[in-house]
Amino acid sequence: MLDLAKSILATFGVGTVHTAKNGEDGFKKFCDLNPDIVIADWMMKPMDGISLTRRIRNDAASPNHFIPVILMTGFSEKRRVIQARDAGVTEFLVKPFNARDLYRRISQVIERPRQFVRSEDFFGPDRRRIRTTAYHGPQRRDTDNQRPDNGPPRIDFVSSAPHKKLEDTVQHIAKNKDYD
Amino acid sequence: MDHYNQTPRRKAEFITPPNTLKAKVGSGGLSEGILNKAQELLENNTVDFMPLGEMYLNTLMKGIDKAKNAHPDEDQEHLITSMLYPAMQLKANGGMFHYPLVTKIADRLIQYLEVIESSDIEALEIALAFHTTIRAVILGRITGDGGRHGAELIDALDDACVRYFERHPGPVKG
Repeated sequence: MLDLAKSILATFGVGTVHTAKNGEDGFKKFCDLNPDIVIADWMMKPMDGISLTRRIRNDAASPNHFIPVILMTGFSEKRRVIQARDAGVTEFLVKPFNARDLYRRISQVIERPRQFVRSEDFFGPDRRRIRTTAYHGPQRRDTDNQRPDNGPPRIDFVSSAPHKKLEDTVQHIAKNKDYD
Repeated sequence: MDHYNQTPRRKAEFITPPNTLKAKVGSGGLSEGILNKAQELLENNTVDFMPLGEMYLNTLMKGIDKAKNAHPDEDQEHLITSMLYPAMQLKANGGMFHYPLVTKIADRLIQYLEVIESSDIEALEIALAFHTTIRAVILGRITGDGGRHGAELIDALDDACVRYFERHPGPVKG
């Protein structure tokens, strides 16, 4: 799987792909090499993809707490998606996947990066993705990107893009469910 | 006072990290030709799934045996997870390596394992039936969806799960 993913990434034109056999090795390489994106499998030993993501987000040794993490897994059940999301995963890629699925996930993290949230009990990409208005036209007011509570601007509050991201994830999961 | 439109009570800081990745890759996406080439690479991979599949099946069987021999007080979540993880690996990798029928069957097994409350003997018999079926597909080198026979296998396993849940209805909600 590792070799296959590496070959696909090379076909996409990704310049350098570093691989690791497990989360522990992966975190070490991540610290040494500080890559642009991490693509991890959920199931790894001695450290799985969820624990790896938590370390990337929270460990003081992590060179980039904001790095996009794409988690590949056979799980598609809602509670697993939530588990991954709560660990700080940026995108969820359900296996088996096709080349376009992987490309879409990479494209999302580059073209539509999510804001990060630091709260008392969570640090990671903003988990709220559904909040969107029905309005899809041009935005002309200065306040368009402002939250009604006058908090910091939150792009996904007015943009349809996160909604599309969610739709994409739902479709991706549904496709795997309807694999028949 | 409305329950909505209030100031958040939890302290949360919103951070927009610099998009250095976008600056590196520039604009424009991949062409259809590149995506098709990558897809071909994926579809034409020559990885032999059998050793991998057998490894996951062995782990699944160990999980079933562990649950069968477990003390009644043992943590059910832990016991079920021992079967769930290899099932997930079968689902994930079957379809990647030309065994979509393995993916379909393992997906049913996951859905079943995610729901059951305990790994009682009746529940384990069904897990064993899934194991036997997946093993037959892998050893029989049934690549593709298995046609009508494949659909019949899935229907039979679905029926077994439905019968189990009829005998073990969950707590009524509401």
